Amino acid sequence: MKYLSRAFWLLAGGTFLFPLYWMIAMSLKSKSEAYDNPFGVPRSWDWQNFSEALSKYPFFSYLENSLIYTLGTIALTLATGSMLAYCLSRMKWRFNAAALFYVSMGLIVPIEVVVIPLFQLIKLLHLKNSYLGLILPYSGFAMASCVLMLYAFLRSLPKELEEAACMDGANVYQTFFKIILPIVMPALVTQCVLLFMRIWNEFPLAFIIAAKDRFRPLTVGLLNFFVNVGVSDWGMIGAAMLLSSLPVIVVYLAGNEKIEQALTAGAILK
Amino acid sequence: MNKYFSTKMSIFVFAAPALLLFTVFCVYPLLPEIWMSLHKHDGFRSLGFVGLDNYADAFNNSSFWTAHRNTYLIVGISVLLGLPLSMALALFMDVQPPRLRRFFKSSAMFPAILSVTVVSQIWVAFYEPNWGLFNAILKSIGLSSWTHSWLTERRTVMPSIGLVFLWQYIGLNAMLFYTGIKTIPKMYYEAALIDGAKFVQVCMRITIPLLQDVIKYVLILSTLGSMAFYSHVRVMTAGGPGDVSRTVIYQMYYTAFDTSEFGKGTAIAVIFILECLLISFLIQRFVAKEKLEF
Repeated sequence: MKYLSRAFWLLAGGTFLFPLYWMIAMSLKSKSEAYDNPFGVPRSWDWQNFSEALSKYPFFSYLENSLIYTLGTIALTLATGSMLAYCLSRMKWRFNAAALFYVSMGLIVPIEVVVIPLFQLIKLLHLKNSYLGLILPYSGFAMASCVLMLYAFLRSLPKELEEAACMDGANVYQTFFKIILPIVMPALVTQCVLLFMRIWNEFPLAFIIAAKDRFRPLTVGLLNFFVNVGVSDWGMIGAAMLLSSLPVIVVYLAGNEKIEQALTAGAILK
Repeated sequence: MNKYFSTKMSIFVFAAPALLLFTVFCVYPLLPEIWMSLHKHDGFRSLGFVGLDNYADAFNNSSFWTAHRNTYLIVGISVLLGLPLSMALALFMDVQPPRLRRFFKSSAMFPAILSVTVVSQIWVAFYEPNWGLFNAILKSIGLSSWTHSWLTERRTVMPSIGLVFLWQYIGLNAMLFYTGIKTIPKMYYEAALIDGAKFVQVCMRITIPLLQDVIKYVLILSTLGSMAFYSHVRVMTAGGPGDVSRTVIYQMYYTAFDTSEFGKGTAIAVIFILECLLISFLIQRFVAKEKLEF
């Protein structure tokens, strides 16, 4: 019974990892082997798929775009979101409760349902085919969860910190950037991880807004590549998939614990 | 200190940028959405006010209903099948030896961090009718008659896509539940075990009731997440065959961007926003109303 249950857990865990194995194996198989032996271990290692994929698939351009969208959104959301959260948790403002409620409404509406008016708005602002065309809406939609989480965190900090800073003659900006932000760093890191996961893999909005190839992130660029090569050359498709997944796999292996904490933080904080 | 810190100026500097971003890109689009849904609109300009015609059109279109059936099938799969399975995984994970648990924890989250495009394309290969994994397994155990062209047959396409979604997020949800389980004080279990309670009883009487906040959170997250189901369909079948695997969001995209009927597309969106609001209201109202303290 004990062994049976262990076998079950290994098998269940293996199910989740199987696609990773399959991607790696596929990327090393020649065109003909991909059909004869689609799920086994590659008989001979064929690195050609990678060079071929890189020549037909502008991986580095997509990678750069994904990085710009993701880092841009993280920077903008954390900078503005943490300031709003601080304002709502500490400053004396008549509309504190109202503003908090207003921002939290953002949790209910999924970004997909406003894609059409967003598309119009981005065209109107002449942001189509620019990085800001995605960064700004991503930030707007990430604001709700970011502000709510940082708000909960900031409220638990003792007020004495600011009082001491105030005595020393620091103004509100110095206090916030030099004293408060370093203290809430763990929460900011958690938000960083959550935003990274969310924006790096975002598909529906990028599919519409980043219409020019030059501005496509990896998720959309990869689909475009699949459509172009068709389903004939699975070795090359495997190589392209593996290349595109490497950044997240590396991030995941490096920060496994952090990511786990971040992804589960929301559930407990509620 | 407050007088010194909370000047009109500092409140404005701290609050305005975020509120502006949120208002312009998250809230404001709802207004043109409603306005467009009342007009005939080709994406560039309005071609005249048509009242509620776009809504009537949506309701009279059979694709709209197919899309609704598909979307709620996915919601059903992920809530009625996915959440109990995730919960079971989390409960059993808690009683496994640490090394096995660590292996399982890190592998279970793995599909959730991969991009939708990669995950969907991998499963396209698994469902491939000639050499794909599922048909290969069925053939090798002598069940050739059970093989299907999974993604192009009417009956199998939606459940097949649903399985991918289930697989991708079940581990993440299990982790969310598991983290919740870890916050329950151990003494409750010890007390129950001294009284001679069985594992199942402990789960049903202690763990699950004390987890209700986490359950509610995961329920809202996965309900709204599966309502917006779109990307997997785009990559795996592009809504096909015909309109058989379109979801509501897919139907909205299709109507607006593929047929240039932006007015009709936004009408679908407005109807769907109301559905999302109604469902989150129902969950807030009826699930986990009493707060348990521990």
